[in-house]
Amino acid sequence: MVFIVRYVVRLKPKPVGDFLLCVGTAPGISASPSEENMRYFNVMILGPSQSPYEGGVFKLELFLPEEYPMAAPKVRFLTKIYHPNIDKLGRICLDILKDKWSPALQIRTVLLSIQALLSAPNPDDPLSENVAKHWKTNEAEAVETAKEWTQLYASGT
Amino acid sequence: MDSEDDMHDANDDDYYYSSDTAVEYSDEDDGGDDDGDYGCDHIEDSDESNRQPNYIALKEADIRQHQENEITTLSTVLSVSRADASILLRHHRWSVINVHEVWYADEEGVRKAVGLLESPVVQFPNAQEPTCGICFESSPLDGISSAACGHPFCDECWRAYMSTSINGGPGCLMLRCPDPSCGAAIGQDMIDRLVSEEDKERYARYLVRSYIEDNPKTKWCPGPGCEYAVEFFVGNENCDVSCLCSHGFCWNCTEEAHRPVDCGTVAKWIMKNNAESENTDWLLANSKPCPKCKRPIEKNNGCMHMTCTYPCKFGFCWLCLGAWSDHGERTGGFYACNGYEAAKQEGVYDEAERRRERAKMSVERYTHYYERWATNHSSRQKAIADLHQMQTVNLKELSVKQSQPETKLEFVMKAWLQIVECRRVLKWTYAYGYYLPEPEHAKRQLFEYLQGEAEAGLERLHQCAEKDLQAYLGPEPPPTDFNDFRSKLAGLTSVTRTYFENLVRALENGLSDVDSQATAKIGQAGKGKGGGGYSDYHGSWTCDQCTYFNTISLPTCEMCLQPRHNA
Repeated sequence: MVFIVRYVVRLKPKPVGDFLLCVGTAPGISASPSEENMRYFNVMILGPSQSPYEGGVFKLELFLPEEYPMAAPKVRFLTKIYHPNIDKLGRICLDILKDKWSPALQIRTVLLSIQALLSAPNPDDPLSENVAKHWKTNEAEAVETAKEWTQLYASGT
Repeated sequence: MDSEDDMHDANDDDYYYSSDTAVEYSDEDDGGDDDGDYGCDHIEDSDESNRQPNYIALKEADIRQHQENEITTLSTVLSVSRADASILLRHHRWSVINVHEVWYADEEGVRKAVGLLESPVVQFPNAQEPTCGICFESSPLDGISSAACGHPFCDECWRAYMSTSINGGPGCLMLRCPDPSCGAAIGQDMIDRLVSEEDKERYARYLVRSYIEDNPKTKWCPGPGCEYAVEFFVGNENCDVSCLCSHGFCWNCTEEAHRPVDCGTVAKWIMKNNAESENTDWLLANSKPCPKCKRPIEKNNGCMHMTCTYPCKFGFCWLCLGAWSDHGERTGGFYACNGYEAAKQEGVYDEAERRRERAKMSVERYTHYYERWATNHSSRQKAIADLHQMQTVNLKELSVKQSQPETKLEFVMKAWLQIVECRRVLKWTYAYGYYLPEPEHAKRQLFEYLQGEAEAGLERLHQCAEKDLQAYLGPEPPPTDFNDFRSKLAGLTSVTRTYFENLVRALENGLSDVDSQATAKIGQAGKGKGGGGYSDYHGSWTCDQCTYFNTISLPTCEMCLQPRHNA
């Protein structure tokens, strides 16, 4: 059970604060395995500061397929989010989840990359065409919408 | 049939010359594989494009051998390992020259781009039991491996990593170290050391495929089930190549060999054969939309009173497309429609009618050429089957019956190979004819004449190879001496070959430069038979009443029984 060793070593969750769990040394990220299925993780990512997602608490699901770590984990946003690289089903456009996956990457690095994606949206490689267009034509307005959505869907209440 | 005689006269020299050489052929070829050499074997007049085949067919062993040689050479010249040389070649489309060029210009840059490191980027761990970077378990030193970069992973994780990649497709040839920040290339030596036999074989297979597919000089033969490849030497405009499997194809577009037609026309023709546009044309030509529900309706018999099918059920007049309820005695009876006649006089229907006619013309024209193209295609398939039968069965019988060694019977095979080749050319002349511009009347006439002659010549050869030969296989004593038959068939083969070569050249030159003796007399011959020409079509007449296209021989319209007006 390679994956168990992997996450026991690197992902052992430590409770920090009220509801936040810290993964390794990554602040603002938590991942805990589901009780029914050890391959299924409930993930929470705090919106990074100085981003339109600041103050939001985003829920994600992460699943380790049979082939893991030779195949990438499957990750999806459960919380609605207004972001050019994330579509309305929560699917994420991120190279390391696809062709750039390497078995030497870990759940922790994946989640850090997703967090970084929130800080730096990339409308040139969009998953959600409309949002990306919005972002490119009127960034200020798009950021405003993203903030509203964060308020609306990710305020953690 | 004076034109046929012309053809004989013109080629008498070839006739005798070739019957002499027929014996030579058998000497050249004995024991050899005869499949591959037709089309480029012989020549009487100096045809430079055909003298030397500008390609070679490669069997799998040849391919591996070529690949090995190139890797060895490069590894010697650059003083790198064979695995590294292989990686370099793979990244540069298997061109040794390209590798030399970039390597000597910027070795460091090339090394970086393809991932060949000269020294490790990390120190290989000194610990007794280093930790694997993938599973984070400790393993004894002999269970840990790393590429040139030094990133340590346990052999089990390596194996899984490589196996996943190999099973994911040819991308495994570009495998790099699993460390996300590292680009060190993984060579075949390391793969072979770690993976299972099955994966090793698969990887080697991808390597061979890469050698053919990434290399601009080589291509797989597209023949069904064929595993050979063809290496092509540029510098010659003849792109037709013939694989060892006897499949002939065009190097440029990998469609079947299609001289004298160019690749663009072939692509258009094939697309047309598959496209729906003909259906649309047919509908336009042969149907009218129901005036109420717009469904296309074909009138195949009966009177002008049309009733659309359920659920529309609209009754209307085929001629004027008006409601049938307005018709009857008032409009001149059930088989005529005054309203239509009157409106036609005023030119109301002209545009729609003309469109319909044009579409009909175009669909019939296409059908004409397509049918002949397809017929020659199936004749060719049949000829290939006959050729095979000849090779495996009849030739032996003939050899016994005529007490001739099989090597002396090569001329029969030559004839059949020629038939197969001619059917192919003839087939493509129909695609050529379809795209020949209509207004170029003289060219079209010449083309149809040449095509007709080609067809007749081929028929003679086919007849001789098929029917006449039977006489020497049957129990009856043959009508003529076998040697006479030999010179007849060999002669016909040669004449037909020359004729077709000239035809191909003439068509490739766009019929502008017709210099061969076989075609020089066309001017006088004037009214060629027109082989499969389409000119017959212009002999039809259009019914004034219902616009139906009737054949010239009919005195009344097939559709509405109106007599022909301006007969």
